[in-house]
Amino acid sequence: MDWLESGNMAVKTLTSNKLRTGLTMLGMIIGNASVIAMIGIGQGAQKLASEQFESLGPNVLFVTPGSPGARQRTTFLPRNLVWDDAKAIAAQVPSVASVAPQRQSQFSVTYGGKNRTTLVMGTTPEFLIVRDFDVAKGRFINNVDLERNTRVAILGSEVAEQFFEGKDPIGSKIRIRNTSFEVVGVLQAKGSFLGSNQDDAVYVPLTTTATLLTGRTSPFGLDLSFISVSAVNEASIPAAEFQITNLIRRRHKIITEDDFTVQTQKDILRIVGTITGGLTALLAAIAAVSLLVGGIGIMNIMLVSVSERTQEIGLRKAIGASEQDILMQFMIEAVMLSAAGGIIGTGVGIGGILLVAAFSPLQAVVSPVAITLAVTVSGTIGLVFGVFPARQAARLDPIVALRSA
Amino acid sequence: MSTIVQLQSITKVYGIGDIIVNALAGVDLTVNAGEYCSIMGASGSGKSTMMNIIGCLDRPTAGRYYLDGIEVDTLPDNELARIRNQKLGFVFQQFHLLSQLTAWENVMLPMIYAGVPVQERRDRAREALVRVGLEQRLQNKPTQLSGGQQQRVAIARAIVNRPVVLLADEPTGALDSTTTEEILDIFGELNASGMTVVMVTHEADVARRTRRVIWFKDGQVLESNLSPKDVALVNAG
Ligand SMILES: Nc1ncnc2c1ncn2[C@@H]1O[C@H](COP(=O)(O)OP(=O)(O)O)[C@@H](O)[C@H]1O
Ligand SMILES: [Mg+2]
Repeated sequence: MDWLESGNMAVKTLTSNKLRTGLTMLGMIIGNASVIAMIGIGQGAQKLASEQFESLGPNVLFVTPGSPGARQRTTFLPRNLVWDDAKAIAAQVPSVASVAPQRQSQFSVTYGGKNRTTLVMGTTPEFLIVRDFDVAKGRFINNVDLERNTRVAILGSEVAEQFFEGKDPIGSKIRIRNTSFEVVGVLQAKGSFLGSNQDDAVYVPLTTTATLLTGRTSPFGLDLSFISVSAVNEASIPAAEFQITNLIRRRHKIITEDDFTVQTQKDILRIVGTITGGLTALLAAIAAVSLLVGGIGIMNIMLVSVSERTQEIGLRKAIGASEQDILMQFMIEAVMLSAAGGIIGTGVGIGGILLVAAFSPLQAVVSPVAITLAVTVSGTIGLVFGVFPARQAARLDPIVALRSA
Repeated sequence: MSTIVQLQSITKVYGIGDIIVNALAGVDLTVNAGEYCSIMGASGSGKSTMMNIIGCLDRPTAGRYYLDGIEVDTLPDNELARIRNQKLGFVFQQFHLLSQLTAWENVMLPMIYAGVPVQERRDRAREALVRVGLEQRLQNKPTQLSGGQQQRVAIARAIVNRPVVLLADEPTGALDSTTTEEILDIFGELNASGMTVVMVTHEADVARRTRRVIWFKDGQVLESNLSPKDVALVNAG
C-alpha cells in the first residue's frame, strides 16, 4: 500500500468523526497559535523598541557614569560625571554638534489638590536640540535661567494635561518637592521611549536642580545622571565616541578601568535586542509547552481510537493488511491531525498578531521561520506521539481483534 | 484434481492460566479444488478454531498446513498477511464492513493492500458487486443496507482478489431464512463457477445446500466426508 492510499484512508477516517477530529486538533491549534502569536508579539516589541530609538535622531550618543563592567555589576551608579565634563565635550570635541547635560530624579509634584510623582529633569537649553523636542507653548529653559537658578518649570505634555486639563498652565505655580516653580512652557508630545513615557516629566534648569532639589553631591562639580550628545552627522558618530572617551579619560585621570560609558544608538539597540530577545524566547518556551500538551492530547485520542477500532484493525489484517500497513495508517492519521492543527493554529496565530497590532502600538511581525518551525514541530509531535498508539494497533492479533465485538 | 487445503495432525491448545483447552486435538483434513464443504458439530467442538487456522488468522500449536501447495504454518506474520490477501477470502457472521466506507470502497479494500492500480480496483470491485447482485448499491454505506445486503458486500470483498478458497464461519447465522437462501444461492453460484468454498454452520438446512459435510467433535474430525443427505438423518436421529 502506498502513501497516497494511506493518506486517502486517513482523510476518510478523520472526516468520518469530525467532532472528535476537531477536538483533538484543538490542542495543536492552541499550541501553534500561541507559538506564532508569542513569537510575533515578541518580535513586534523588538521592532517597536528599535523604531522608537531611531526617533531619537540617528546621531545621538549617551555618556553615562560607571564602567561597562560596573554597570552590569550593580544598579547603584557611581556619581562621577559632572557638568564640567559636558562643557568640555561641547568645547573640545570637534565632531560634536550639541551637548545636553541631564540630571534626573523622581519627585512629588503638586498643583492645586493634585499630586503626582514624576520625573524631574534638570537640563540646559541644548536639550531641545539634542533630543529633538519642540515647545508647544511658552518657552524652554534659557541661559538666564541657568545663570540665575530661576525656579521655572517646563511641563511634559502629559503632566500639563493631568494638572491643567486643557487650561493654559503658563504662569501657574506648581510645587516640586515643596518648592514653588512657575510654569513657563509646555513641550509637544513625544511618546514613550523604551517603555518610559517621555511626556510624563517636568524640566527645570540644571543649576536650579542642583541648588534647590538634589544638591551638589560630587566634589568635582555638579554631577549628572547622563549626558546626551549629538554628533555632527551620522558618519562622525564613531569619531565622536572615540574623542569623547579620550577626553573624559583624561579629565578623570583614568589609568585602568573607565568610570564612565559612551553608548551609541547601536549599543543601546543591542541591549534592547537582548532584553526583547529574551522575552521572545520566554514566550516561545511557554507556547512550546502548550504544543507538547497538544501532542499528548493527540496520543490520548489515538489510543482511545485504537481500542475503539480493534474490530476494524482485525478486519483489515484479515483481508491482508500487514503490520506496517496498520502502523502507517495510524501514524499518518496522527501526523495529519497534528499538521492540520498546526496549519490552522498558524492561521489563528497570525490572526492574533494582526489583532494585537490593530489595538496596540506593536507592529505585526509574521515570521516565516516561526511558521515553518511550528508546522514542522507539530508534524514531528504527531509522529512522536503517534508511534505508541500506532504500534499498539499494528501488533493486534487479527482474531482477537475480530472477536472483540 | 489439485489439493487446496491440506491439514496434517493439526492441534491447537489454549492455555488460560492452569486450565488447558485442547481446541483441536489432531486434525487431518484435505479439501480439493472446486469442493463445496460445510463443517458441522456441536458448539465448542473447534469449528471456528479450525476455520481461523485454515484462514491463516491463527497458527496451529503443532502440525502442518499446506495451502495451495505452500506450507504456511512456518511463514512469518508479513507473509501470512500476504497469503490472506492473495489466496484467501473470509466471510464472517457479523459481516465486519467498515462503516465509514461505501459498499464499493469496502470491496476495494483488499485490492488496496494488494497494490492493484486504482482503475482496475474500481472495475473489479464493481464486477464483484454485480456478481452478488448489488450493482444498485455501490455508493451506499453499510448502515444504509440490510443484513443480507451487507453480507453480500462482504462476499464480494472476499472474492475480489480471486482467492483459492472462500471461507465462511456461520455466514447466515445473523440472517433470517429468506435472506439465508439468497446468500446460499450466491455461494452455490460461486462454487458452480469453480470457487472452492468451506463453510461452518450448525443448521442442517444450510449444510444440505453443500456437497460434502465434515463433522467435528471435541476438536477432532468425526466424519470427514458425509453426504449432505446423511446430515438430515443425523439431525433427525
Ligand atoms: N481464544 C481462546 N482462548 C481459550 N479458549 C478458546 C479460545 N478460542 C476458543 N476456545 C475454546 O476452544 C474450544 C473450541 O472453540 P471454537 O473453535 O470457537 O468452537 P466452535 O466454533 O465449534 O463453537 C472451545 O472450548 C472454546 O472455549
Ligand atoms: Mg464458532
